[in-house]
Amino acid sequence: MDLNLIKQLIKIVEKSEITEFSVHEGDLKLKISKANNQQTMVTYAGMPDMRSAMQFPNPTEVPASSSNLPPKESESSNYYEIKSPIVGTFYRAPAPDADPYIQVGDIVSPGSVLCIVEAMKLMNEIECDVSGKVVKILLENASPVEYNQPIFLIEKS
Amino acid sequence: MFKKILIANRGEIALRIVRTCKELGIPTVAVYSEIDRDALHVVFADEAVCIGPALSKESYLKVSSILSAAQITGADAIHPGYGFLAENAEFSDICAESGLTFIGPSGDAIRKMGDKAAAKETMKKVGVPVVPGSDGAVKDVEEAKVVAKEIGYPVMLKASAGGGGKGMRIVFEESEIEKAFQNASTEAGAAFSNPELYVEKYIENPRHIEIQILGDVDGKAYHYGERDCSIQRRHQKLIEESPSPFITDEVRQKMGQAAILGAESVGYRGAGTIEFLVDKYMNFYFIEMNTRIQVEHPVTEMVRNLDLIKQQILIASGKSIADYPKEPRGHAIEFRINAEDPANNFRPSPGKIEYLHFPGGFGIRIDSHIYNDYIIPPTYDSLIAKLIVWGTDRKHAIARAKRAFEEFQIEGVKTTIPFHQKVLEHNLFINGNFDTSFIEKHLK
Repeated sequence: MDLNLIKQLIKIVEKSEITEFSVHEGDLKLKISKANNQQTMVTYAGMPDMRSAMQFPNPTEVPASSSNLPPKESESSNYYEIKSPIVGTFYRAPAPDADPYIQVGDIVSPGSVLCIVEAMKLMNEIECDVSGKVVKILLENASPVEYNQPIFLIEKS
Repeated sequence: MFKKILIANRGEIALRIVRTCKELGIPTVAVYSEIDRDALHVVFADEAVCIGPALSKESYLKVSSILSAAQITGADAIHPGYGFLAENAEFSDICAESGLTFIGPSGDAIRKMGDKAAAKETMKKVGVPVVPGSDGAVKDVEEAKVVAKEIGYPVMLKASAGGGGKGMRIVFEESEIEKAFQNASTEAGAAFSNPELYVEKYIENPRHIEIQILGDVDGKAYHYGERDCSIQRRHQKLIEESPSPFITDEVRQKMGQAAILGAESVGYRGAGTIEFLVDKYMNFYFIEMNTRIQVEHPVTEMVRNLDLIKQQILIASGKSIADYPKEPRGHAIEFRINAEDPANNFRPSPGKIEYLHFPGGFGIRIDSHIYNDYIIPPTYDSLIAKLIVWGTDRKHAIARAKRAFEEFQIEGVKTTIPFHQKVLEHNLFINGNFDTSFIEKHLK
């Protein structure tokens, strides 16, 4: 089973409603499964030396980040998405040793600073534009973020 | 060699660059605006970063977003393609300052060649023939008269700060020059905030013939022959071919040597094109140098058997050219297929491609980013595909092109395919007897 075929299978599973998929070919057994938080797990037996070659960057995500993909439409439709207006690196706090600007559960209002997106050594404060409660933080600290990528989910009040 | 190349472009050229990078084993980063989310260059690149909304100013032209994308993906080189930031001297400089390699010339080289009057002076100094004219801007209409008398009518009055046809007037005899001067000057002032004009000999019905050069890492330049790009509509190239059916081998040699002189005089590195106007007597005159890879580069690739994008990457990474000039082989013609309606004044025709079938077979090359069900966005230029045919000689290339267009199907949008088919049937084109006035005169 070649790498390209495996990549295609993963893409298909990711985009579909399939939660688990497995296939055997000769000595190789490939299983692809989706957990509730949309992480796609790939396990296989039979070709251990391919392990390090198994890098599958999702083309619409930046791979240096963790696999925190944006939630599916149905989850976020009740919530307001705060999206990044610029390309850069997401930070939860103004400095490495400082407290994060906000936590899940915090009440925010228009103008509340939620995080920093750093671009080209410039720290850009990202402000909230609605009133409500922070329901979810979609990215890990120090992960890359692209234009209009959702960062926070706010339950509007 | 570079760890990772970010392609700061879109459409067919972005895909073109991704392909060569893959062949070289270099990982790629595509950047895209929101409307280009489903573009082929995004799909085929190893990574992709959304950098802004559809508006070019906010995405493909936004330096900070592109640099940020390079930063977060760890790209160490940027290929700018053509258009967008490809000839933006500041962008080249900023890349250098940020520790990124701009795959193209330095900001200084771009600036030198971007100043049309200065570029002309530079070429003149090393003995490259230039269009005869005034030394920079003329003080007033009296000075213009003196220059015009010296070089001989007809002359062109052109805006120093200008381009795109504004602030330009053709003057056929001295009695017309005062009025023309006043009009051109006023127009230039309005369009470019600078009413200054310079005078140039007007070359009637010229051919546009350009020379592809590569500037090697050691400063030596090589030329890879010419491309005849005379089939133009409103100064936009539509068909390009090599070799030129017009010039002789002797002129070809001279133009090649002139191009090398010009490139070496500015210490040019990488791929570049020197553009000449050729009059009916086969005199050639330098008009400008393009410091980037050009749309029509495949024509040279087919006849000279090399990958120009690969050479760009090698030179930028400090390595020598992989392919030095060899004897050319056969004849290549490129047809630019635009999503435009030739029956309605070439009005843009964006929309969804309902059915697509590319031609194939021996000697057919398609450089295109379109696919079935692709939606051509209205926000960028209308080039959707380039058909490049190669034949053993010009006659064969034309026969092949006709055959290829019969197989070529694009439905859902209007394209310039029927227009190209008309050109291929026209006697003047078939006989190689055309100049830049061809479309205007014969194919309205």
